[in-house]
Amino acid sequence: MVIAPLPAMASLALSILRSPPNLTLTIVAFVFFLLFFQALPNQQTVDYPSFKLVIVGDGGTGKTTFVKRHLTGEFEKKYEPTIGVEVHPLDFFTNCGKIRFYCWDTAGQEKFGGLRDGYYIHGQCAIIMFDVTSRLTYKNVPTWHRDLCRVCENIPIVLCGNKVDVKNRQVKAKQVTFHRKKNLQYYEVSAKSNYNFEKPFLYLARKLAGDGNLHFVETPALAPPDVTIDLAAQQQHEAELAAAAAQPLPDDDDDLIE
Amino acid sequence: MADKEPVVDRPEDEEEASAAAGGEDEDTGAQVAPIVRLEEVAVTTGEEDEDVLLDMKAKLYRFDKEGNQWKERGTGTVKLLKHKENGKVRLVMRQAKTLKICANHLVASTTKMQEHAGSDKSCVWHAADFADGELKEEMFAIRFGSVENCKKFKDLVEEISESLAKTEGKETEEDSSAAGLLEKLSVTEKKSEEVATKEESTEAV
Repeated sequence: MVIAPLPAMASLALSILRSPPNLTLTIVAFVFFLLFFQALPNQQTVDYPSFKLVIVGDGGTGKTTFVKRHLTGEFEKKYEPTIGVEVHPLDFFTNCGKIRFYCWDTAGQEKFGGLRDGYYIHGQCAIIMFDVTSRLTYKNVPTWHRDLCRVCENIPIVLCGNKVDVKNRQVKAKQVTFHRKKNLQYYEVSAKSNYNFEKPFLYLARKLAGDGNLHFVETPALAPPDVTIDLAAQQQHEAELAAAAAQPLPDDDDDLIE
Repeated sequence: MADKEPVVDRPEDEEEASAAAGGEDEDTGAQVAPIVRLEEVAVTTGEEDEDVLLDMKAKLYRFDKEGNQWKERGTGTVKLLKHKENGKVRLVMRQAKTLKICANHLVASTTKMQEHAGSDKSCVWHAADFADGELKEEMFAIRFGSVENCKKFKDLVEEISESLAKTEGKETEEDSSAAGLLEKLSVTEKKSEEVATKEESTEAV
């Protein structure tokens, strides 16, 4: 299912609504409408292939942090539960052109309401996330998988065991077996250290395109325009910079760079 | 989106391709039918007309003014690139693995590197950055794996910006002397005023 025909479907639905009353047609149109607006809130269409990616898993497993890491590069330590869903477009350049995942970052916490089917509808690929430092989040994976598969049949799914940077794991790599039973791809990831952080997207892109050789390539670095800065602005920048330079850098002790 | 054809199943192609690209990663995923057919395209980095002056691994941060804190922007490779024709030098940093752009801006005469208080492997600077294809004022901090790498980076940026400042300084001098000449030509009687203007411009420089 490709997103492109959906706007067409919506306008079709509109035109049916305007035509003389016919109960069946009206109901059909109404259902179309619901599907369309639930599945694609604020989703502007782009002129390159885009896919709806549903990300599910228990609360606190790192879904939002993982998406944010890809969006801005930052690693958010603070936990703020997602309410409902947040949809973020995430672009990648590949040897087969630019592609986009609309990441449906969903609320993992039951108290914010379980996920309604609308979140899953038209999902074209999915990530199920659990936290390797919490056995319960792995125990709940089958439930997330069942809910997802009830709505989305035969879509590529990646199971991600997040937080593998933490020393005291409760779920060891060998204990993760669910993906074998249900034919999912599994990756151990760390949103903190970036370990395997690109793998889930790469795997899904390859499956969606049916091209196992697809790979990420450099985003073209456009020529930046010339900028002239007046003396006053420059002095202000330098003062701001001096203040910023006094603030510590986050996790200054890590050894990511050799 | 018009160029995206509805896709025909290609199970045999897919199997072959996955096996070839699988490498160390075992594919335990179900066989699913692809939903788009993508053609290979020519890849452009945008760096084709530039020479690499510096290429190092580093971690980049941007300053979040609201939160008064540094936030990670990316970990990967920072490059200083000199354009083969116009000689302009820019800083381009890419995130490892995804190869997305974390920073992309020119090194200007006003680019001043400052030390970071807490780390001698880091330095900070201000830039009008073009990473997202629109100019944004940013404060960056960069951390290298060693003090030496940081020094190499800092020294090179400073060298470039100082040489730009010199060239621009010369141009300004030439401009003001040319303007002075013009004034002399057109206004012969307002000598005192002319001197005053000249003094002002010298102060401004």
